Amino acid sequence: MGNELTRFSTWLSTALKWLAPLIFGVLMVTVWEVLLLVINPENFLLPRPSEIFSELIDDLSKISDDRSKIWAATKTTGFIMITGLFWGIVWGVATALLVTLSRAANETLTPIAVAINAIPIIAVAPLFNNWLGLTSPRSNQMVVMMLVFFPIFITTARGLTQVDSQQIELMNSYAASKWKILRSVRIPNALPFFFTALKLVAPLSIIAAIVVEYFGGSQNSLGALITASASFADYSKAWSVVVAGSIMGMGLYFVALTAEKITLARDRSPRLLLIAWQKITGRTTGA
Amino acid sequence: MEVVSISNLSKIFNTGKDNEVEALREIDLTVTKGEFIALIGPSGCGKSTMLRLIGGLIPITSGELSVNGKTPTKAREERDYGMAFQSAGLLEWRTARKNIELPLELMGWSKAERIKRANEMLELVQLGEFARSRPAELSGGMQQRVAIGRALSFNPALLLMDEPFGALDEMTREHMQDQLLDICHKTESTVIFVTHSIPEAVFLSTRVVVMSPRPGQISSIVETNLRAGDNTADNTKIRNDERFYKKVTEVREALYGK
Amino acid sequence: MGKKLFLLLNKAAVRRILIFIAFLVLLALAYTAYKAFGQALDDRQRDWWFIGSFFPRTDDRNMPPILDILSEFGKSPRIGGETYISQLFSGALFTLREAFVAFVVGSIVGLVLAVLLAQSKLAERGVMPWVIVSQTIPLIAITPLVVLWGQANLDFLPWEWKTWMSVSVIASYLTFFPVAVNGVRGLLSPSSEHLELMQSYGASRVSILWKIRFPASLPFLFTAFKLAATAAVVGAIVGEISTGVSGGQGLGKLIFEFARTYAAAPERLYLGVIGAGITGLFAFGLIVLVEKTILNSTGQQIRE
Ligand SMILES: Nc1ncnc2c1ncn2[C@@H]1O[C@H](COP(=O)(O)OP(=O)(O)O)[C@@H](O)[C@H]1O
Ligand SMILES: [Mg+2]
Repeated sequence: MGNELTRFSTWLSTALKWLAPLIFGVLMVTVWEVLLLVINPENFLLPRPSEIFSELIDDLSKISDDRSKIWAATKTTGFIMITGLFWGIVWGVATALLVTLSRAANETLTPIAVAINAIPIIAVAPLFNNWLGLTSPRSNQMVVMMLVFFPIFITTARGLTQVDSQQIELMNSYAASKWKILRSVRIPNALPFFFTALKLVAPLSIIAAIVVEYFGGSQNSLGALITASASFADYSKAWSVVVAGSIMGMGLYFVALTAEKITLARDRSPRLLLIAWQKITGRTTGA
Repeated sequence: MEVVSISNLSKIFNTGKDNEVEALREIDLTVTKGEFIALIGPSGCGKSTMLRLIGGLIPITSGELSVNGKTPTKAREERDYGMAFQSAGLLEWRTARKNIELPLELMGWSKAERIKRANEMLELVQLGEFARSRPAELSGGMQQRVAIGRALSFNPALLLMDEPFGALDEMTREHMQDQLLDICHKTESTVIFVTHSIPEAVFLSTRVVVMSPRPGQISSIVETNLRAGDNTADNTKIRNDERFYKKVTEVREALYGK
Repeated sequence: MGKKLFLLLNKAAVRRILIFIAFLVLLALAYTAYKAFGQALDDRQRDWWFIGSFFPRTDDRNMPPILDILSEFGKSPRIGGETYISQLFSGALFTLREAFVAFVVGSIVGLVLAVLLAQSKLAERGVMPWVIVSQTIPLIAITPLVVLWGQANLDFLPWEWKTWMSVSVIASYLTFFPVAVNGVRGLLSPSSEHLELMQSYGASRVSILWKIRFPASLPFLFTAFKLAATAAVVGAIVGEISTGVSGGQGLGKLIFEFARTYAAAPERLYLGVIGAGITGLFAFGLIVLVEKTILNSTGQQIRE
């Protein structure tokens, strides 16, 4: 009896952990909705969540006959964002790996990268437009890539180089090769660093992708759509585009989070699922 | 006079969960004023847990426990005891003197009083010239002395110490033991001292409480009291005394369950 | 004062600055060499090299000579008008003011949030995901809308609402995030030993916060402030760009203007980049200096 009760309370506290963000989110949206109903019934400037979502759903329902503007824009901007993110990560990690080969390279390149990272990369967008063509997606990709590159490079290089010197000495005492040290000491040490950076740049890349669209690129993009809707005073439309962008950003963030969980968890996902199942049913299978 | 009285005390962590741990079972112990109790036992047997229960830092599961006739929480709130841990636990951003001042600040002492007392404590632990040094500039033994100065600074009648000399080298450790005894005799403190060194337990204590592996229980209590109330006894002599070795053997046998 | 500053600029810092300057010189040389290479090609080779505009073309419109770029600083749009360098300078000051307000507002909001979230696990679990989600909302992209809020019914404020304040508010949306996240991390960083010690003194939550949690979180906060300073400048520039022409006289406005008229003078695109770069580095360097001064005096380690 008492055991049942404690099990229930354990289950409840676990459930609450997962429900807490959901409850808080619902609460926020409700407050926003109700508050605006009271103080701003004409929906001037800031629309209610219900309107934003109905606008979004309305637009997305036209996907089937290919008339959804938001969907088309999301594809354009999403492509730029994902390719920029991809190449930024590839180059960032590659440079970080390269830098571990030589202490001098690390001590020279990292401060430069730190300095460049303090520069508003967005300011180079017009320059890239000039170089690579105003309507070409390539300049937009370049901006996103640069924005992603620096945090990834700096953080990963830090993880690869700031390792426990005792571990390195131990490996050296086994006459381990540089490659072996990289694989068994440096990379495991760098993984949490890398994922921290990844979670930082994932949302940044969507913001960057949208903002560079103020300077040029396709007319069929999220940035252009926001500007156009705002200039027609169609605020719920503008907001629904913003929401579409942030859904994409959230998606990316959760991909990064899941990748981190799977990579860093010692138990692989099937086992995690099993544990979750046992938690939910309160049953332990087997021994 | 009873300072700490424990009867039928048990402690279970995470009751009802998968990771439930029975840390202590049915402990009975009474500590009277001026005693120096050494707690010894295999690692994980619940020594730190016992100290934290006495300090009122975690709640008891069942049984009774009182400190100076009060509940441990009340005793804690009234600052009846001072505490020291294995790692000195100094605040890195405070100088040695400011670290000692910490409990005094919390008790609302004036600045002048605080500085005066902190300087006295630094003299006591022989760190007078290091008042303005930060922990990072002090050796492990010096840091530990600052921590002891901090624990003693507000004259608590009861000292709870959890392997305070565990991380020190043998020479520093013996030196610290001598100093601790000296200070305790001067201040007439009651001490509960966790250690995993048998000679240390025997040398310092009036009684050694020997605990068994988990769930921690008191397996025996060895009366040591090598000084027999004579606080001026020569420490080197005691360390070389035959009675010392006998007691060490006795504690060892109790520990290994002979 | 000068001596103190000199002491802060220790050997390592001086080396870093020299390395960065050397890097800039190298960059200029590489630019010139690339341009020379492109111009040495004949038409047929050129078509082959610059296929699909993957590499920038080397004509003077795409890549003006470095000296032309530098001399553009001294020119002005009209004869006798304000030179570009002085426009950039006052633009940078304007943007830095916005960034400063954004930094302060964001830091305060971030700190308050961090203190609240550090109080209970449940609060952190409930709210932290939304703090992260907040950063995936490209609010910065809808600055025009937020500027309109500023103009709507803010008469109850004791001061007149200006557009740049809206830009600051938008930029602070980017700055509060690192402060909140690192703040929580820092406030939760004290070891259980330190916390138990404080409890053994019967210390209240408030004094644990003041005497342990805040000092312990200082290094974490400076890490956040460095990120926030950069984000504030970025936010201010982007905010100005997306408010378009009504954005006042900041750097973002200049960059936007230079981009609009680049056909007439491509050199000016580079002026915008250089101005923004120097402004960003200035804000970052300022925080680094403050960090060094304060953490030196508290004897704490700088977290990278
Ligand atoms: N907060 C806690 N939660 C769960 N288990 C704990 C906790 N503190 C201690 N324990 C467990 O209680 C037992 C006794 O621990 P401790 O008192 O630290 O042992 P000792 O100090 O004698 O080495 C150990 O098995 C330990 O894992
Ligand atoms: Mg212990």
